[in-house]
Amino acid sequence: MSAPATSAPAKMAPSRSDFDEKEKEKDVRTSNIVAARAVADAIRTSLGPKGMDKMIISPNNEVLISNDGATILQNLELRHPAAKMLAELAKAQDIEAGDGTTSVCVIAGSLLGAVSQLMGKGIHPSIISEAFNLALNKSLEVLVSMSVPVSLTDRVSLVKSATTSLNSKVVSQYTNLASIAVDAVLSVINPATAINVNLKDIKLIKKLGGTIEDTELVQGLVFDQTASHTAGGPTRIQNAKIGLIQFCLSAPKTYMDNNIVVSDYSKMDKVIKEEPKLILEMCRKIQKSGCNVLLVQKSILRDAVNDLSLHYLAKLKILVIKDIERDDIEFICNTIGCQPVANIDSFTADKLGKADLVEEVGTSDGKIVKITGIPNPGKTVTVLCRGSNKLVLDEAERSLHDALCVIRSLVKKKFLIAGGGAPEIEVSQQVTAYSKTLTGITSYCVRAYAEALEIIPYTLAENAGLHPISIVTELRNKHAQGEINSGINVRKGAITNILQENVVQPLLVSTSALTLATETVVMLLKIDDIATAR
Amino acid sequence: MSNKVLMIDGDRISGNEVRAQNVLAVTAIANIVKTSFGPIGLDKMLIDNIGSIVVTNDGATILQKIDIEHPAAKILVQLSELQDQEVGDGTTTVVILAAELLKRANELVARKVHPTVIISGFRLACTEAIKYINETLAVKVETLPKDFIINIAKTSMSSKTINDDSDFFSKIVIEAISRVKTIDYKGDVKYPINAINILKAHGKSAKESILVEGYALNCTVASEGMPKRIQGAKIAFLDFNLAKTKMKLGQKVVVTNVNDLEAIRDRENDIVKERISLIIKSGANVVLTTKGIDDLCLKYFVEAGCMAVRRCKKEDLKRIAKACGGTVLITLANLEGEESFDTTALGVADEVVQERLADDELIIVKNSNKKLASIILRGANELMLDEMERSIHDSLCIVKRTLESGTVVPGGGAVESALSIYLDNIAATMGSRKQLAISEFAESLLVVPKQLAVNAALDASDLVSKLKAYHHAAQTDPSKKSYAYSGLDLFNNKVRNNLEAGVLEPAIAKIKCIKFATESAITILRIDDKITLNPREQQGGDHEGHGH
Repeated sequence: MSAPATSAPAKMAPSRSDFDEKEKEKDVRTSNIVAARAVADAIRTSLGPKGMDKMIISPNNEVLISNDGATILQNLELRHPAAKMLAELAKAQDIEAGDGTTSVCVIAGSLLGAVSQLMGKGIHPSIISEAFNLALNKSLEVLVSMSVPVSLTDRVSLVKSATTSLNSKVVSQYTNLASIAVDAVLSVINPATAINVNLKDIKLIKKLGGTIEDTELVQGLVFDQTASHTAGGPTRIQNAKIGLIQFCLSAPKTYMDNNIVVSDYSKMDKVIKEEPKLILEMCRKIQKSGCNVLLVQKSILRDAVNDLSLHYLAKLKILVIKDIERDDIEFICNTIGCQPVANIDSFTADKLGKADLVEEVGTSDGKIVKITGIPNPGKTVTVLCRGSNKLVLDEAERSLHDALCVIRSLVKKKFLIAGGGAPEIEVSQQVTAYSKTLTGITSYCVRAYAEALEIIPYTLAENAGLHPISIVTELRNKHAQGEINSGINVRKGAITNILQENVVQPLLVSTSALTLATETVVMLLKIDDIATAR
Repeated sequence: MSNKVLMIDGDRISGNEVRAQNVLAVTAIANIVKTSFGPIGLDKMLIDNIGSIVVTNDGATILQKIDIEHPAAKILVQLSELQDQEVGDGTTTVVILAAELLKRANELVARKVHPTVIISGFRLACTEAIKYINETLAVKVETLPKDFIINIAKTSMSSKTINDDSDFFSKIVIEAISRVKTIDYKGDVKYPINAINILKAHGKSAKESILVEGYALNCTVASEGMPKRIQGAKIAFLDFNLAKTKMKLGQKVVVTNVNDLEAIRDRENDIVKERISLIIKSGANVVLTTKGIDDLCLKYFVEAGCMAVRRCKKEDLKRIAKACGGTVLITLANLEGEESFDTTALGVADEVVQERLADDELIIVKNSNKKLASIILRGANELMLDEMERSIHDSLCIVKRTLESGTVVPGGGAVESALSIYLDNIAATMGSRKQLAISEFAESLLVVPKQLAVNAALDASDLVSKLKAYHHAAQTDPSKKSYAYSGLDLFNNKVRNNLEAGVLEPAIAKIKCIKFATESAITILRIDDKITLNPREQQGGDHEGHGH
């Protein structure tokens, strides 16, 4: 990791003038490369199962501890445009594959290192980018040839790859998350036909308290809020019929200012009694439909429910959950098979959803409502995340999201590949061999590309406290002898057949990481001027 | 690594530097609470920026009150809060233990052991320790003499200001908690601590604190004309105003005739009068409401010989209603669209009485066989009363945990020393670098007996080595198994069997303490990079257009 010759003097908090005033004098490319590599270096230490965490203190003094590349970069508030591109890169990988966000940045950083050396030798950027594209195509071929097809019915393999993804996180000691992720994905798709997963069908709910071991998969719904207690209504209902309303159970208001003028005392009673009458009528209608659990959408214009309506509903033995977010409506409807009702007149029995049990459950951090035993499971699931403190809980949620994404990648592209640096070193060797079939400068650049990929096993070894050079050379040796699945086993601190150790990842994660990293590098290469538009 | 051109608006420190800094901050925190640890620990006086004073011995309270900025130290504060929530006691222990673990881990890092190795060592040690507590050290409560539960309460009080009267207070605590025992629909026995109301009354000595078999409310009857004592009370619980009816917004009364004015006034009064007569007719002779009752309405109650109490706390009302079999009503409306008062909403109590206590008057809902209890604390000054309240709360929590979980362990450093010896033996069987981490973990646990001895002004090295010798014997020589319960006797400067001496803690408290401390230590240990972003500047025209 030698610093480029023309790098600017290192500063901790550079002022903006660093990249807009003097830009003409300096080589724009070098500046971009230095900035982007700094970012890659910054997150390098969090790569792999033995990677460390970063603590980021945001401007408003909130603390974030994470190991996830995309999360770290998103929260860094990077300023240099090239550095921002790297953050975008991590995000792109997050969207495409959901995992390998650190790897993609590390690879990009290493490729940029190779670029700056090549440019130092006077090679034109456009030739480098052409050669890199060639190398990329070859690399993808190698990756595909290494991969092993997997069937979605093979639950064991799926759990293995989810475990690999979780290994690098703080939650790695808990084995249950991997199988939760697999079960969650498998229950919302049809394994025989699915080609993609809508992760919106899997809802993650966070609740403080307990430990991560208490995280559970619920075939049904979990609400963060409690059932309404104001009027002492029921909190546990069996054979629930669930209605979802989007209108308000309170006295109506007109849009214009209005006044009711009472001129006779006998009419006062009438005015006062009108409200209970109106609300009672609505509650009666709800009860008539057979509904015994009522979900009320949040309303900002009026009170969605008031004391009076809660009182009536409690008397009618209807459990009320209020403040349902608008965004959740679709998910709820999909899950319990109900239809949202926007007007009391259309509140009929056919719009109700069903569930065996709606129950309020106590946790150490307040209560939650669980709806279980829904008639046609398989459309949506909810995962209730638990954790002993907020930082761990947030990280558990992010990790679970990564694991879900890994499984989704496998649904998209049903191939597995070995982990532990094995694919990178194999690609590196094959591409080097390929470079020998080429001639001229291209051959030289392709070779540099191949070498740059060794950064992954190198960093893995370094982060695990092993000797990187001896590990990487041994790995090269093994691969040269044809053991294409040899990788770094960080737990044993040695090189073993990584497939047998159950360290596997989806092919999509590796291919997308390589593609995205190469494309970003090529794009950075093609920039030769920065002009600031005011 | 740390000096790269990472273009962000903030500071970044990484590697050993950040670890050292975190450990330093954490150690500083532990040093603050260290001296208040154990039966002979001392108290802290905390004065905040507006001058209000808190005197306490409780780790969680101390850490909450002091304003801590360092993020790693904040994790430790959260840790003590968590222990407070989950267990209720041992908040100081958990902080000291976590800090010691980190300190030793940092030394290992300085000796070139990679943090990840230390982390996996700590994890292993933690799992083994918990297994050992569950399998070997924990004692089922059924095997203990009956007064064990008093000893549990006494142990938790031993470090607090009420230690001198712990016999007295532990009896109150046990009695209070046995009164609120409930069994839920699943058949689980629960002890809802919230059902025990703790009231503080200035004056008299601590020993004159009393347990009331009922629920004490810090309110008085609404009018002097009302009876102060009602036996065979039927209580109505209201959550609405009893006052002259007001029209809602947007409703106007226009009077065209002078005579009408009088009629409208009457009607306003009549509406509420009708409500009150509904309540009185139902047979209620005590009315508790969370809202107000205006003078006019009071008259009706006085005439009917009812006791009415206004401005009660809603939480209190719910508790009483639950225990007396009543319902809190938010409106009188019934399903016919009319108003009525359902007699089933009435709660029943033996007696509702207003009593004078110190300078205050209290309403006490007495109910000999219902699940209510109140503890009225007396004390010479406010600060002491506050601290007494916290101590009683800790005790209640501990007793509850013990009764619910059913296993106890000896206190006085017994568990920590036993674990230390046990883990040291495990470490010796390990061939890898984890050995170092595990033996450091074992060594860290000894901070508990050491600190106990130091706070008692005893020779820590001497006592702890003696203690270790006992535990070593217990684990190697089958005939000396009972030595496994050896702990410190800080008053007589010797080692004794703490199980027999009655120094007990619930096993669950110890297990959670070790678990939480390890988890927090690992969380902090995993951090190798700290990035502090500068606060965002005010958006000035000068900064527009940059960074695109």
